[in-house]
Amino acid sequence: MTIGPVDVDWIVDNLDRIGGLVIEHLYLTGIAMGIGLVISAGLALLVRNRPRWYGPIIGFTGTLYAIPSLALFALLTPLTGIGTVLTAEIALVSYTLLILTRNMVEGLRAVPSEAIEAAQGMGYTATQRLLRVELPLALPIILAGVRIAAVTTIGLVTVTALIGLGGLGYLIVTIGTQRGSFGLTATLTGVVLAVGLAVIADLALQALQRALTPWSRGRMAAA
Amino acid sequence: MRTNRTFVLGAALLALVVSACSPGEDESPGASAGGGSQAADLPTLTVGSAGFWESAVVAEIYAQALEGAGFTVERQLEQGARDVTHPALVDGQIDLMPEYIGGYLAVTYGGEPTPDIEESLAALREELEADGLVAFEPTPGTDADGFAVRQETADELDLTTMSDLAEVADQLTWGVAQECAENPNCGPGLESVYGIDIASLDVETLGACSTAIAEALNASNIDVAQVCTTQPEIAGFNLVLLEDDQGLAPAQNIVPVVRQEIVDEAGDLLESTLNDVSALLTTEELTNLGAAIILNGESYQDAASQWLADNGL
Amino acid sequence: MIEFLGEVAAWFADPATWSGRDGIPVRLWEHLWISGVSLTAAIGVGLPLGLAIGHTGKGARAVVAIANIGRAVPSLGLMGLAFIVLLPLGLGVGPLPTIIALTALGIPPIVVNAYVGLREVDRDLVEAARGMGMRAGEILRRVEIPIALPVILAGVRTSAVQIVATATLAAAIGGGTLGQLIYIGFNVGDQVRIFGAALVVAALSIATEIGFATLQRAATSPGLRDRAYVPTEPAQVGRGGADSSP
Repeated sequence: MTIGPVDVDWIVDNLDRIGGLVIEHLYLTGIAMGIGLVISAGLALLVRNRPRWYGPIIGFTGTLYAIPSLALFALLTPLTGIGTVLTAEIALVSYTLLILTRNMVEGLRAVPSEAIEAAQGMGYTATQRLLRVELPLALPIILAGVRIAAVTTIGLVTVTALIGLGGLGYLIVTIGTQRGSFGLTATLTGVVLAVGLAVIADLALQALQRALTPWSRGRMAAA
Repeated sequence: MRTNRTFVLGAALLALVVSACSPGEDESPGASAGGGSQAADLPTLTVGSAGFWESAVVAEIYAQALEGAGFTVERQLEQGARDVTHPALVDGQIDLMPEYIGGYLAVTYGGEPTPDIEESLAALREELEADGLVAFEPTPGTDADGFAVRQETADELDLTTMSDLAEVADQLTWGVAQECAENPNCGPGLESVYGIDIASLDVETLGACSTAIAEALNASNIDVAQVCTTQPEIAGFNLVLLEDDQGLAPAQNIVPVVRQEIVDEAGDLLESTLNDVSALLTTEELTNLGAAIILNGESYQDAASQWLADNGL
Repeated sequence: MIEFLGEVAAWFADPATWSGRDGIPVRLWEHLWISGVSLTAAIGVGLPLGLAIGHTGKGARAVVAIANIGRAVPSLGLMGLAFIVLLPLGLGVGPLPTIIALTALGIPPIVVNAYVGLREVDRDLVEAARGMGMRAGEILRRVEIPIALPVILAGVRTSAVQIVATATLAAAIGGGTLGQLIYIGFNVGDQVRIFGAALVVAALSIATEIGFATLQRAATSPGLRDRAYVPTEPAQVGRGGADSSP
């Protein structure tokens, strides 16, 4: 059965395979986001203590960001192997660093000084201040960065198919373009699923933001 | 009412997902037979394949045939190119894989296969032994790199063989794979066997052996396309496959390659089951499988079980 | 490692690397002209659209939608779709699908930044200009655009970097460009070529980024150069932008 140009039967017959590719895609994305968050948090804290490092860090992560993904995979290949998950993940993590680190630093910097002073006045230790006052107030900006990083990463994972990994890129390129116009269903399915995952991630993180920062609901209406 | 509709929709969706998630249970004819005590003695096999339809469907056919004979089989299809599948085979991540005599010998082992099956197979087996691998009997069918043109072009320029094509090569736009210059069956081979210097010709790069390149040929974006000889699009688009009269293509019959350990454990049943299947895989059968999968959009499972049923296996 | 780098150096020194259809010069030129055409088209479509929406202030929702779609749709998917759709029409071979996909990719940053840039212009200035009798076109030309220029140019820069980067992927649909060298390298397992070609691509991308950044700074009137811009919204502007560099 076809709906327009889409061969629904093919989708149904290959649901197994498609499901496996979605899971693989999520897996690759999740690892990159997880590691990216940890490293970026570290970098943000580093910048907090040594503000002069901000420029170089942004410069470095920004330079990485400008390198096309296929090229970055290629540059890592002699070190970490052709088409290995390690190669892909190092690159994917690198791409998250610019956005995450920048938003974490800017988020913390945007915390009103009155709040910090108030916390100091209340006798909070530095750590308590960070966790209980600064972080919550910085959250909207940080989460905005996480949302962008997540959506970007989901898109980038599709490129890993070109170096032999799976994920939705496999549907889009390997199956899709191989089969020419007969591959429209596969490619469209891959694209729709990738966009779907990105939308879901974006909405989920927006919901998370609303849940964690109920006081910002009025201010950040357009986010 | 809303609740009812949602429930029905949800149930339908669930049923769909569940039915799609039980691969081959209803479809493969042999799965129900041959269970019980026999299965306990036979090793569990993991069948792998390369990342294109033909390798995947032949692997699936082998897998289902083995299940019919009582083996427990897991699949890891579409793992990629030889740089992935070969180490996987050697390391034991997969136990069985369909391979092409000429391609395997040339690409993985750096050998020089010839159009002679016996010679090439012997050379391959020698190499495989060192890696603890065994190749059983080859299929009669082959799938080699070939070149095709549109029917009108063949009529107009009177082309039936590659030698004919060589004479008019510079009048045509060629469609070849990106890596043609490194592929002994393409660039270097065309030069040494037919005197065609691809580097000097009008070329567009597209994925070889793909529907895409066949469509580009059909749409006259290119006049010659690098195809695989079992591509269903050749018949489907009424293209003409040029005869390899000077023997550029090596023996490209398919052989099931198995790990020696598994062969020792499994005994004759493994070999005989696989050989019975291989014997029936002619070039025509492979092409028909291609038509089912590419042109009709069937899944590997369905196409495989249908073929096994049609051939009484 | 040193050995390997030696091999890479040898690859660069080898004249074969610089000759022929898959030599660096041919593919580099292809990469540049395809990117150039796509960027021009993206500006041609995106700028008027963004300026119109930004000036009137209507259609903000559309801008947000464009920004989000632009980020969520994977560029490889766009290329694949363009290729597949054009193939049976006889237009799938060659640079056309790539150009179409890259143009589509390049439009969102330009639209979004033009919109945001204009929105940021002090409303009082616009009012004053209107009070002086300027018409919409004049206001746009003499007040809004000059003030919004840094942001608009940041959008062009983001778009350019994105286009140049994504053009690399064209090899997957037979579109060539420098990515072809990397793609072939992966297909035949030639690590030296993979690395060497990637260096060229990386250099090109970084050069594009720096080039446009310089352009942006040069075209920004000095009085506006120190405006700090803290990106908080999905419409990221400023240093490097945050839309996907594939």
